[in-house]
Amino acid sequence: MARRNNLAGWVLVSPVVVGLLVFTLYPFLASLALSFCEYDLFPPPRGVGAWNYETMFTRDPLVWKSLTNVLYYTALAVPLGIVMGVGLALLLDAKIKGLAVYRTLFFLPSIVPVVATSVLWIWLLNPQIGLVNTLLRLVGIEGPTWLASVAWSKPSLVFMGVWGVGGSMLIYLAGLKDIPASLYEAAVVDGANAWQRVRYVTLPMLTPVIFFNLVMGMIGAFQYFTQAYVMTQGGPLDSTRFYALHLFFEAFQYLKMGYASAMAWVLFIIVVGVTALLFRSQHRWVHYGR
Amino acid sequence: MSDEEEPTSRRRLLLWLVRGLFIAAAAVGMLWLFLGYEPPEERRWPGREKVVFWHMWTSNWAEVVRRICDRFNDSQDRYEVVPLTVFGGSLKTLIATSGGDPPDCMAQWEAVIPAWAARGALTPLDTLMPAEEWRALRDRMYPAVRDIGMYQDHFYGLSTGMNVWAVYYRPEYFRQTGLDPDKFPETLEELDALSDRLFQYDKDGRITRIGFTPRWLVHYIATFGGSLYDPATRQITFTNPKNVEALEWITSRADRYGFERILQFESGLSTTMAASWPFISGAYAMVLDGQWRVEQLAKYAPELEYRVAPLPPPKGGKPLACWSNGNFTIIPSGARNKAGAWAFMRFWSGVDKPERAAEFYTWGGWLPITPDVAAAPRYQAYCATYPHFRAFLQIMASPNVQVTPPVPVQAYMMSRLTWAEDAALRRHLSPREALEQAARETQRELENMGIGREGNRKEMLNVK
Amino acid sequence: MKHPWYIRLAIHAALVALALPFCMPLVWMVGTSLKEDAQIFPKEVVTTVPEFLSQWWPNPFRWANYPEALRYVPFPIYLRNTLMLCAVNVAAAVASSALAAYAFAKLEWRGRSILFAVVIATIILPGEVRMIPTFALYRWLGWYGTYLPLIVPAFFGNAFFIFLLRQFFRTIPDDLCDAARIDGCSEWGILWRVVLPLSKPALATCGLFQLLGTWNDFNGPLLYLNDQTKYTLAYGLQQFLGAYGGEWSKLMAAATVFTVPIIVLFFLAQKTFIQGISTTGMKG
Repeated sequence: MARRNNLAGWVLVSPVVVGLLVFTLYPFLASLALSFCEYDLFPPPRGVGAWNYETMFTRDPLVWKSLTNVLYYTALAVPLGIVMGVGLALLLDAKIKGLAVYRTLFFLPSIVPVVATSVLWIWLLNPQIGLVNTLLRLVGIEGPTWLASVAWSKPSLVFMGVWGVGGSMLIYLAGLKDIPASLYEAAVVDGANAWQRVRYVTLPMLTPVIFFNLVMGMIGAFQYFTQAYVMTQGGPLDSTRFYALHLFFEAFQYLKMGYASAMAWVLFIIVVGVTALLFRSQHRWVHYGR
Repeated sequence: MSDEEEPTSRRRLLLWLVRGLFIAAAAVGMLWLFLGYEPPEERRWPGREKVVFWHMWTSNWAEVVRRICDRFNDSQDRYEVVPLTVFGGSLKTLIATSGGDPPDCMAQWEAVIPAWAARGALTPLDTLMPAEEWRALRDRMYPAVRDIGMYQDHFYGLSTGMNVWAVYYRPEYFRQTGLDPDKFPETLEELDALSDRLFQYDKDGRITRIGFTPRWLVHYIATFGGSLYDPATRQITFTNPKNVEALEWITSRADRYGFERILQFESGLSTTMAASWPFISGAYAMVLDGQWRVEQLAKYAPELEYRVAPLPPPKGGKPLACWSNGNFTIIPSGARNKAGAWAFMRFWSGVDKPERAAEFYTWGGWLPITPDVAAAPRYQAYCATYPHFRAFLQIMASPNVQVTPPVPVQAYMMSRLTWAEDAALRRHLSPREALEQAARETQRELENMGIGREGNRKEMLNVK
Repeated sequence: MKHPWYIRLAIHAALVALALPFCMPLVWMVGTSLKEDAQIFPKEVVTTVPEFLSQWWPNPFRWANYPEALRYVPFPIYLRNTLMLCAVNVAAAVASSALAAYAFAKLEWRGRSILFAVVIATIILPGEVRMIPTFALYRWLGWYGTYLPLIVPAFFGNAFFIFLLRQFFRTIPDDLCDAARIDGCSEWGILWRVVLPLSKPALATCGLFQLLGTWNDFNGPLLYLNDQTKYTLAYGLQQFLGAYGGEWSKLMAAATVFTVPIIVLFFLAQKTFIQGISTTGMKG
């Protein structure tokens, strides 16, 4: 049968190949070329050598500000998301009644469209009449101004991110279902208590899924954009100016398309670097049991 | 079932044909829904030269624009103006312009004038009119209108409506506090003292009414007599001592009432849109706002007692001062029918006949481009209906009104200036440090603009 | 293993405590959408428990918020646009990804593993890298301001779906395909009659992911659409936020209307969805 397979295989993947060339490879190379140009949509792009990269590293403090912001967000939201996701999945893996209801409740926030949750959270976090500060006031605390405060704006967005943990929770749940019951039985035979079973059976067996979510979560966090665009537009005092938001403003508000391309490439290198590091760390903690 | 499992080849062919037709029909239908259908263009005079006019207005405003276009089309028999509401802000129009398919004229916010003029994307309007007409117009225009329209030595945009700001206040609260509403403060120091008395708090010390809190540094730079840019040296002058003084005063007021406390109070107010402007519900005793509120208040709160006064200057400052901006009509350099576009703009703004334009400007409740439009009987009748509007006309004519300087990086400049104000208000930096940093960044942005255009970069940067 | 009753009770308690912050905001959203402005913007801030509890219940109910909110934005037009985009994108993305996934899972051909690695690697490409040249490309093609930038890419496969479907297809025994081949079935026939019917949960999962993605897509319309009659719900809602920032009751009404269809859909598709994810497995 192998003789016809070459043709059939390439025919079936041909749309994907065309897509790769047109929507990935071309933009990828073009943005590399653009990153060495000044381009304000008035053609043609004009070559400026490494000027854009020099500007990033020496002349634009907002690049560093936005990078720090996104690192802050990633460092808090990704681990917190993993802890919450795994924790919820473990609870939901128990054999109790009403699981479907709980599962839906936890998943609900992550299917609500981002723009709607953003609107909702602006309202929840309203310093004067929002739900959060009203609750705090009941226990005698005057809450901060959340999104309008330099100190609290990023934590607010992290809370909101953790609130949408349902998607990865489902993936952990799927991972838990894949752990063979025989392993638990063996652990029970060895006299392991519940905590030990979680610690020495469940978690190690779950590490491939955690790894998957860690990589995807990290990539997503580095590109954090919509919530900040809708809710804070980068303010106050650039405290929520995340890298992708800064890039967007530079490109479409100040028409520095070449500069924004250089920023995109630096982001790409960072993401590839972090991904590579994560893959390198795999053998230390990820258990591929099969 | 057996029929389906072993269809004859003809049946099979037929089946595929039907399926194929169905899929093709569905695809064509989808494509038509998505791409195809654009309503046929409405041309009342297909024989005339077409003038495409893009603007940003919707609903009632779009109706006003259409009426003005109809008037123009009826007034002559050479051109037909076709107005079109275009969404997507300046990006969409920029894409059309840089892509070589711009409209003949379009209404934009003022910031596009220096940015696009510097890139050679705009037609100088002074080249479209006889020299003496241009000279006469230049001398007649309100200073702010002229200053915004000029970039280097050419004139690029004609305003369709200007904005200026003044203090709205509630006499009722003045009386309740034992103050005389007829004696509005003449200096900023008096305003401060008044503000202290008009603030109200609840039992826990939360604000329940604001006396007066300054916000938006540009207005106070104007009234303190500062400046943002020196065209002679091409230097950003954010650190002008008067600017620093203005920002120090703004921060001192915020400190007095508590910046966080004000922020919190204002966050709990409803939108600032039209009918629900918190001034109406009594959240402010005094507030700086634009002329468009006059008509809104007449419409949504006709019973409300209020007055309007120009912003009082500090000691040694400038009276009748504020920052001003507006909507401007421009002609892209790639426009096909520049003569037609200019004829339309001239007609709308009353360059040739102020009395006619007076009527259009009252339809929109807009501030006109020249004092003679304002002096026309139609416009005076409008001011008689809305007496508070006069204060704004008075400010419009003042030489102390400031506009954003004609630098091609206006959007960046204003965003950094706002940042500096915020940084000072939040005690992140001292007012001087904040302005210094913003100035540094804006200067760099200005000097780096057009770095790739070695050929005409000097020209863009205004180097002679 | 069944847990003793006190453990089960503890788990229930933990789940309820955790579920509250997850669903309370949505309850609050629906509540606020039915309130009057006077109840939303109290003259004095709420400091006591009874006041707080009474805040949850709209008093009086103001149903008019809904028609009013929907009058501000051309909701039916946005809904139509969104549904059409969803339909095209779901069909196109699932179909093109399924074809490729079949080739990766069930056929052997030269270059397969390299191409698969390349496809998977594109997942880690930040969208920002592609954004500007893609934007320039669409502008050059004259597609700015049309739906084409929002639908055409779906016809060329989605790396994540290809991965998901490939994993699923690999669980289908090869013998089944080989038997069909011996019966004279073409590759197309095997895919259509053997593989796809067995993969409905995985296909549905991809479809749902794509549906959520398109329904929520904000950046695409933000970059490419400029005509209000073409806006989608996600983008329209943001416009609404900009224009009527402080009218919370109407904003919440609009957000509720925007959210309910997707929740209903999730309820209907929930079982298939979770089945699709679990049986696929995430392991490389």
